[in-house]
Formats: sequence, structure tokens, C-alpha cells
Amino acid sequence: MVDISITVNDKLYKISINENMRLIDVLRDELGLIGTKEGCGEGECGACTVIMDGEIVNSCLVMGFQADGSSIVTIEGLEREGDLHPVQRAYIEAGAVQCGFCIPGMVLSTKALLDKNPNPSDEEIREGISGNLCRCTGYNKMLEATKKAMEYIKGE
Amino acid sequence: MDIKKVYNSKSVEEVIDILGEYGEKAKVIAGGTDIVIALNNNAIEPELLIDISKLEELKGIKVDKEFITIGSATTFTEIVESEIIDNNLYGLHKACKMVGSPQIRNKGTIGGNIANGSPAADSVPPLIALGGIVTLKSIEGTREVLLEDYYYNPIKEKELLLNIKFERPKDNQILTFAKLGLRKALAISRLTLSSFIEFDDNNTISFIRVASGALAKFPMREKELEDYLLGKILEKEIIEGAIEALRNSMDERLKGRSTLPYKRIAISTILREILEEALAFEEGVKAW
Amino acid sequence: MKLNVVGKNIIRVDAKSKVTGKALYPQDIYLDNMVYGKTVRSTKPHANIKIDISEAEKVDGVLKIFTYKDVPNKNEHGVVLKDHEVFASKKVVRIGEPIAFIVGETQKVCQEAYRKIKIDYEDLPAVFDPVEAMREEAPKIHGDSNIIYHYKLRHGDIEEGKKQSKYIVENIYKSPMVEHAFLQPEAGLGYLEEDGTVVVVIATQYPHYDREEVAINLGLPEEKVKIINTNVGGAFGAREDISAQIHLALAAMVLKRPVKVIFSREESFIAHSKRHPMIMKYKTGADENGYLQYMEAEIIGDSGAHCSWAINVLRKAGVHATGPYVIPNVKVDTYAVYTNNPFTGAMRGFGATQVPIAHEQQMDALAEKLGMNPIEFRMKNIFRKGSMTATGQILTDSVPLDRCIEAVDEKLKFSQLWKEVK
Repeated sequence: MVDISITVNDKLYKISINENMRLIDVLRDELGLIGTKEGCGEGECGACTVIMDGEIVNSCLVMGFQADGSSIVTIEGLEREGDLHPVQRAYIEAGAVQCGFCIPGMVLSTKALLDKNPNPSDEEIREGISGNLCRCTGYNKMLEATKKAMEYIKGE
Repeated sequence: MDIKKVYNSKSVEEVIDILGEYGEKAKVIAGGTDIVIALNNNAIEPELLIDISKLEELKGIKVDKEFITIGSATTFTEIVESEIIDNNLYGLHKACKMVGSPQIRNKGTIGGNIANGSPAADSVPPLIALGGIVTLKSIEGTREVLLEDYYYNPIKEKELLLNIKFERPKDNQILTFAKLGLRKALAISRLTLSSFIEFDDNNTISFIRVASGALAKFPMREKELEDYLLGKILEKEIIEGAIEALRNSMDERLKGRSTLPYKRIAISTILREILEEALAFEEGVKAW
Repeated sequence: MKLNVVGKNIIRVDAKSKVTGKALYPQDIYLDNMVYGKTVRSTKPHANIKIDISEAEKVDGVLKIFTYKDVPNKNEHGVVLKDHEVFASKKVVRIGEPIAFIVGETQKVCQEAYRKIKIDYEDLPAVFDPVEAMREEAPKIHGDSNIIYHYKLRHGDIEEGKKQSKYIVENIYKSPMVEHAFLQPEAGLGYLEEDGTVVVVIATQYPHYDREEVAINLGLPEEKVKIINTNVGGAFGAREDISAQIHLALAAMVLKRPVKVIFSREESFIAHSKRHPMIMKYKTGADENGYLQYMEAEIIGDSGAHCSWAINVLRKAGVHATGPYVIPNVKVDTYAVYTNNPFTGAMRGFGATQVPIAHEQQMDALAEKLGMNPIEFRMKNIFRKGSMTATGQILTDSVPLDRCIEAVDEKLKFSQLWKEVK
């Protein structure tokens, strides 16, 4: 076992984990944050995307102990006092949500993109979510949702 | 996975010592984008894992009078966002930008791309074209090896890849890169080419290195093509001749491979792209 | 008429739970006292098997390794024909066929036991080409013929149609196998309720069929089996066949503990169905004025090692073989054929997706022979209100295909460009 301390969704956890755990295992099995999904286990699908120290990463490709000292945002960390994050709201309204399994990762990639670049072009939006696969929608709805979210964020 | 011990290492010295002590039982992890998959599939079964991704000594891009040095734990995103790796070094920026996906680029490192030894490593052909030199360190000492020779004498058990460096390009030297993948994101390269060309005042090629990826067991120089292009002006028929020269090398090297007929055709677009980008830059046009 | 939904922007009921990460898929459910399962699958396409679990059973933490001997009632299932075994008993017919189900305290225990299972394969001649599989002398997958189904469509008089055709095109088209790659790999849980009811929690397209299958295999009345459908992380047809339902129910019933299984992406690829690859031989003829006179098609669908929905899929391919065109003389034969390939089943379009590859290219080829704009050629022959299909159906309601083609043509400026080029 190895001791790590990580901040997840603004909460500090000091935990002892098995050396073999990946970050996704720590989040799901240790912390019960099941919103982070495992779709492929090899960084191809992006369903396990979380924001680690401001950057999106595939949590299936980060070992748990590597996350020691880092700050993680998962899908559970986006709501504020019951209010949805503008990206979440936009995804719902644009009809970008179907089966839902890609959505936590997709929403986090969108949020991280808009945090860095509040006015992305269509090309930049597509690039920003290019590491997240969706098999239901064909991505146009995500594009639409991202543009909606840009407006909501500007209006805040 | 059956890892018994993990280290968040504090210094290069510490890593070298641990590697020296444990040898093959230990593995270094940086971005993890390849090794975690291998661990998860039990393709490798180290007892010890050493994280180097947070070692400041191995991160970042440094410029001195002669060389540009990229630390092995520098991520693709850091390279893409660097102002140093731009303009006439655009080929390296472009290669790093085409790696995997945003998530992969945020974690994957240039050192991992080299040490992993994949024939399709995107960042390697531009680094070979630049004449890159790899520095490796172990308890036995430090060695430097030309990246184009590295694959004949790759990283050993106790070694740590510290950095890769190359000479600062002159204003009349330009690095270009092109990749053929099956789709834009997350595509393993089917074919990559990178050229480092120096033009003299008459637009004649006065120096050239070309490197390919996924055209052999590992990325390599394309010397037949270089010989053909040296001393020439990049005109239409010269570019056509260059395509033929590269095809000749491929025919010999990939004889009997099922992918050869496809790659023979595909190479024309990729080679044309890197040469035309070099020409456009020389003429003062940003081709990208 | 007042419409409450049509024409309005309705927020789907589960959208909020999905954007907040609260929506549960089977892999997200953790129960007290839960143990894990792992499926042992065939690595050979056609072989007699002997399985030795003795070493694997000794692994610390293994609760039980289930094989065909442990299935209380019938060891078979399948949506149309019962040609899947719950666990392969004597021979395997494809790579990926379940042979055993390991249940252990942790996933790691299962993994270790998995490495210790010994399967002795005696290779049998295998067949991977459906055309070859149709021959008398081909190795047989199940029973004494590999031909599962032959659909015949006869309409008008083919010989007469040939006489009327000045232009005839004849081609063979092949479409590939396709993987659904839904994003949520198969996962599920089985547990027992206090009154002995067996519960399976799974993402499925057919909870009612699943219940029937589980009840039959376990020898239970249907009311003692409950299938709980969670959120379904994409399906596209590939969750119509059984995946882990029966294994989970059996393990929960015998061990009286909650059992969970999660497939890796690789296992998911190997375990479930694919889209039918089809070989489509087409002959299509038109008269000098560009009116279709006849069409003859032979379509062979590779069902792989199990039937799944092959009969329905190949029937649909046959019914849709003409495409949306009026053809007075039609002869269609479609076949569903067993091979030792991965089994094929439902996938988006269900047999209607493959045939346009053939009939549309036939239209282009004929238009080319006629020297006619392919859009004009289609407009002469498409279904309109009142048309009769090759199956004898009169289309009495809206058939706005002409409007659709016109709109596409306008956007593409195809006919305009055609005129300029000519």
C-alpha cells in the first residue's frame, strides 16, 4: 500500500491505496466517484477523462500514486450548490446526451477547453473533444452544446 | 499488474540509484500513455515503478548558444505551446500536435516517445532530421548517442533518458513534417516524413536530412532521397524525381510486405507536402 | 389536433442524471459482500474441447468455476434458434465462445485462476467463407447443413424482363463485418432476493427475452427471475443477444452472493455480435427509355457461428433488395449461412443497410450505360404514391422520395453540373 493525498473536487483525501491502482480505480473503487467511466482502458475513448491540475487526462492511463499531490476535477465536481455548470446545462438543452456513457468525459473536455479558450472556433472545439469518442450522436450536438455553453459563460 | 513498490522520485540522482539497484525489476513511468496499458495487460510485470513525470530536472525546453535541449519528461502539450518550437522548427510542433489526442498530449512525453521504440513514434522523425542527440545516464556513467543511431543501441535496463538536444537551426534552415493516419485524432501513423533543409541564396538545397516513420522497424534517415535532393532546386520535376528515389528505397526495404503497394502511392502526397512546406517557408509564406 | 411533444423541444428525462455522472450503468453498482466473475472464452474457431479446472479451483479466493455441467436445465439459448450453449460442452464453434465462468473474491483472484485453467483443444476443420460453407463437403458448424435460411422473392417474369432490357449490368458487391463499439462495455450483476428470486442487473435491449432464457436455463418459473435494466450505454443491436445474464444468474443462485462481471473492451469485441457481411450478386436491366425491367439478386449473409437474427436480417435484405424502385420482374434469393467467424446479428438497419451498396451502384452503372443523368434515371424509376413493391405491397401513403432527391440535387447542384459537363 502507498499513502497519497489528492484533492478531488476541492476536497482533500489522504488515503492508502494499492500500488497497482490506476487513477480511475482510485476515483471509482476508493472514492465512489462512479461518474468517471471506463470505456476502453487504453486511452482511445476518453470516457475516463478527468481534469488533473487544469489539464484533461485519461484517468485509465495515470497510475494512482502518480496523482499524489495533484488536484482533480471529476464530473461530480461541476455542480455548484445544486446548479448545473453551464456546459452541463448546454449539453442537456442541445440534445447532446444520448446513451450518456461518454458524457462525463465529454463535458469535462469541453469545460477544460472553455477554461483555456473562452472563444474557440468550430475547428478548435472539434479538436478539443477529439480525444472523446461518442457512438450515438456524430458530434454535431456537442459542437452546438459548446457554443451554447460559451454564451452562457459570457452571460454570467 | 503485480507492483510491490512505487516511487514518486525527487531527483534524477535518486532515479539513477534505484535503477542501478533494481535493474530489470524496475520500470520508469512518465506520461504513462503506453506503459499503463502494458501493465494492465500484464505485458510487462515490474515489481517497482518510478514516476519521473514531476522531475523539474527533466522538464522543459532550454536554449543556449549552440543547442536547444528538450527534457525527456516534457509533454507534447508543453512542446506545442512553446514559442521556441515554432517558425523554422514548425515540423516538430506539427508532429507533436498530431500525437494522439489532447488527453494523450497532456501526459505523453517526448522521452517516452523515443524510449518506447515504436516505429510509428510521431516526434522521432523530426528529431532525427534535426540531427538530435539523446543523453542517457546510469550509475555507470552518461552517454550521448545520435537519435538516428539510438535504435541500434537503445536504452538499457539501468539507464534513464535525460534529454534530447539539437543544434539551433539557422534562418535558412527549415524543418517540416507530414503524417498519414487513418483519421485525425488518435491515429497511429501509417507513414510519416520529416525533412530538415538548408537553402542557399539561390534556393538550392545546400544541406538536407530526411527521416521517415513507419517505413521500417524504426524511424530512420532516408539517405538515397537526401543524395538525390542535395544540390537541387525544388522544382516540380525534382519533387517527382524525389518521390521515385524514395520509392526505390522503399521497394528494397519493404519487399514482400503487404503494405508496400499502398505506401508506394501514399508516399507521394506526404513527400510533396513536406517539400512544398519547406519551399513555401523559404519564400516567406507560412504554409500552415 | 393539439400536440404535446411533436414540434417542441423536449428535454429527455435522463439527461440531467447523465451530465452530472449520477446515472448508473451496471459497472457503477457496488453491493455488499459482492464477488467478481470472469468468463473463460474459446481461443479457437472450431475445436473439440476438454477443460481442466482443477488447478484453477485451488487458487485462494476462488468460490466456484462454472462449466456446462453446472447448468441445471437446458444448456442452450438464442433469440431465434437455440444454437448458443451457455457454456461450450463438447466443441467450440468460434473464438470467444464462453467455456467457463470463474467466480472469486476479487478480480485479481479471477485473473489468477483464469491463467490456471487448462483447455485442451483438438482442432477441427473450420470454414470462414460463407460461399464455401454452403457446399455439401464443407465442415458443418451445427447439424448437417450450414444453410440456416433461404428467402425467395419472385415477382413477374424474369425471362420477359430480360427480353425487354436493352441494357443489363451485372456486378458482385461485398460489404464487411462491422462492430457496434457502443461505449459502455458489457457489465452486470446477479444476486438473490430473500424469497429466492434471482435478479440480474444489466444493460439490455430485451429484458423480457432475457428473463425467459434465464428461467429456462436455471429451471425456474419466470416469476422467480427478475431482470433490471440500468441505463444502457449504447447498444445499436449488439445487446439483443445474451451476454452475461445467464452466467450471473446461475452464479448468484448457486453461491447466494452478489456477483459482478465487467467485460474489457477487448472481451466486448470478442463476445458480442457483428453486422452481417454480405456478398451481393446483382443483375439489373433497363429498356432503351431508361425504365427498369428486371432485377435478379443472390445475397449471401455470413451469420458466423450462431444464427442470432440471421433469418430476420436476411429476409429484410431480400425485401429491400430492389431499393426504392419499381421493377416489374424480380427474382431474389438470400441465404443466411453458418461459418466459424464471429457471429453476426442485429445492427442498425438490420439487413436493409447492406443492400443499398449494391442497388445504388447498379443504378449508377445503368445510367452510365444509358448515357443518362443518374438522378433523372432514378426519378423515372422511384417509388411514388400508388407504386407496387416487388413484394406486392401497394404504397398508399406518403412516399416523398421525389422531393428528397430533388432537394439533394438542388444542394449538390448535380444536375446543373451534369448539363455543363455534357
